[in-house]
Amino acid sequence: MGQHWALAGMLFPTLEFGIFFLIVFTVGWGLRAAPALRKYFLVAASYVFYGWWDWRFTGLLFATTLINYLGGLALGKAERVGFRKFIVGVTVAVDLGVLAFFKYYGFFLTSLDELLTTFGLHRDLPFLEIILPIGISFFTFQGISYVVDVYRGHIAAEKSLLDVMLFKSFFPQLVAGPIVRAADFIPQLHAPARLTRDHIAVGTVLILTGLAKKMVIANYLATELVDPVFFDPTAVGALDLLIGIYGYAVQIYCDFSGYSDIAIGVAALLGYRFRENFDQPYRASSLQDFWRRWHISLSSWLRDYLYIPLGGSRGSEAKTYRNLLITMFLGGVWHGAAWTFVIWGAFHGAMLGIERFVRTKLNELAPPQAGDEAQILSRLGNFAQHMVGVVWTFHLVCFAWIFFRADSFGTAQDYLKGFADWTGSHDHVTPFLVGLVALGMIFQFTPRNLGRELALAIRVLPSPLLGLLLGAGILVIWAVAPEGVAPFIYFQF
Amino acid sequence: MLDLLDDGNVDDDRLEAVRVADMERDEVTRRSVARFARAMWIVVALLLLFNSGQLITVVNGFGVGPVQDAAVALSTTWNEQMEKNGLAKPVAVIRAFVERLRGAGWSEVHDGAVELRGTYGEAKG
Repeated sequence: MGQHWALAGMLFPTLEFGIFFLIVFTVGWGLRAAPALRKYFLVAASYVFYGWWDWRFTGLLFATTLINYLGGLALGKAERVGFRKFIVGVTVAVDLGVLAFFKYYGFFLTSLDELLTTFGLHRDLPFLEIILPIGISFFTFQGISYVVDVYRGHIAAEKSLLDVMLFKSFFPQLVAGPIVRAADFIPQLHAPARLTRDHIAVGTVLILTGLAKKMVIANYLATELVDPVFFDPTAVGALDLLIGIYGYAVQIYCDFSGYSDIAIGVAALLGYRFRENFDQPYRASSLQDFWRRWHISLSSWLRDYLYIPLGGSRGSEAKTYRNLLITMFLGGVWHGAAWTFVIWGAFHGAMLGIERFVRTKLNELAPPQAGDEAQILSRLGNFAQHMVGVVWTFHLVCFAWIFFRADSFGTAQDYLKGFADWTGSHDHVTPFLVGLVALGMIFQFTPRNLGRELALAIRVLPSPLLGLLLGAGILVIWAVAPEGVAPFIYFQF
Repeated sequence: MLDLLDDGNVDDDRLEAVRVADMERDEVTRRSVARFARAMWIVVALLLLFNSGQLITVVNGFGVGPVQDAAVALSTTWNEQMEKNGLAKPVAVIRAFVERLRGAGWSEVHDGAVELRGTYGEAKG
């Protein structure tokens, strides 16, 4: 019984990936005069990248891609509304069925077994050893977005299987996103691939910042703070628990946004543009704002393919709250088959509803005032309100992270109970770890265009200086980072 | 930052203008590829020179066989040469500095701050 992760693959911050990228960059651009050959090569490289984890799952990736492709073609030809609905329904059902089998089968049977045992109705259930294909949640969502976008008429059905294969398997985003939309990516495949100084500058900045975030901040915080504190929350003091959860907030941000940065940077160096996936999420002054900044490709996917089809905020207030709750609940379930993720999602959904309710009531009670004096007071009030909002939102998010990170509901409970006693030791509150947490938080409040300014400075560098900068950057990061490379957190989703 | 990556499509649909624009784009792409390829080879050289220890770790993961054994022997000799020439030192210095930071307690941070304040006071006085 159970579920295993296949995690012995090619990770971005390794020499293996460096060699792989060197080959892909050189051969890929060498084939730019033959666009079809270039696409074949990139698809082959992406399948090699994916097969590095477990070659058996390349068949699954191809099969689901073929289903999406055929679904898109059928939608392109069908005219009757009912038949189009049928096609999109079947294709999405197959996508979700595959995801459900690999990701939720074990969880469902375990939960059913526990329920039956509780009522004294124990049965032998058909448990299976299932290995979860890495990145399945990401490429399933990409496949769904493709057929739904074709159904909605946002994009034309793609006639080239090769383009759909590259869209779904393109290695920078394959295993942990960002979730790329067909409407964004497939048109780029129709145009000749281009590389400019801007692509190189953006790619260099993103790869270096991504590596630094992941290899230095996330890895140290994981091994020296978060893992020990979450391993047994009852063995550490309340201050350790507090810095532990702040540390996890920074770790998961640096881990996941670091991966996204590298993915976007690698794609840029191959001539493709992905959208931003993180926008300094911990500076958000409300949960709604947080979800506009955190894992943007997933939150916008959930908005466009779940929240809006459910009715969004178009119906009554009660229906809006229901839609928020369902969307966030399913967003939680998407992350994994565990009750802790269910609670995490449901908590966010409930708090988003409460936030919306309070905001509506406050606006009714204190409508915006007019006049100069009122404007000054209003600005001061807005600033104070904003700062309170930032601190409050960060702590709400941290509270939810406890459930997200804990390996069981019991561990999360122990973690929360630990805050009742502040007399224990605080061995993990060291200057080094506190400094890393502070550094991670500083990233949240730097000017938004800092990366852009760095890229603009880099774009004028001649190639020897660019090489020295990139090489020195990688060397320093490698020297500073702890030994070994931990897998990215989001690989398991 | 990603706004720097706009697709830059030409609006003008006159064939000649499009052809010239395409040629210019091709030339820009060719030069950019060459530029980044050169930069990457410099990165490879830097890593081989200053991070040769990592090379052994990677090569050791190749498995067993005559080619692999030769690669292991070559990378070990290379690493020894780099260490002999002092090229492994910068990474070792950085690692030692980080180790000191990791091991530092609050009292050392306090002492360091006091020392820094004293230096600043002397310089001002």
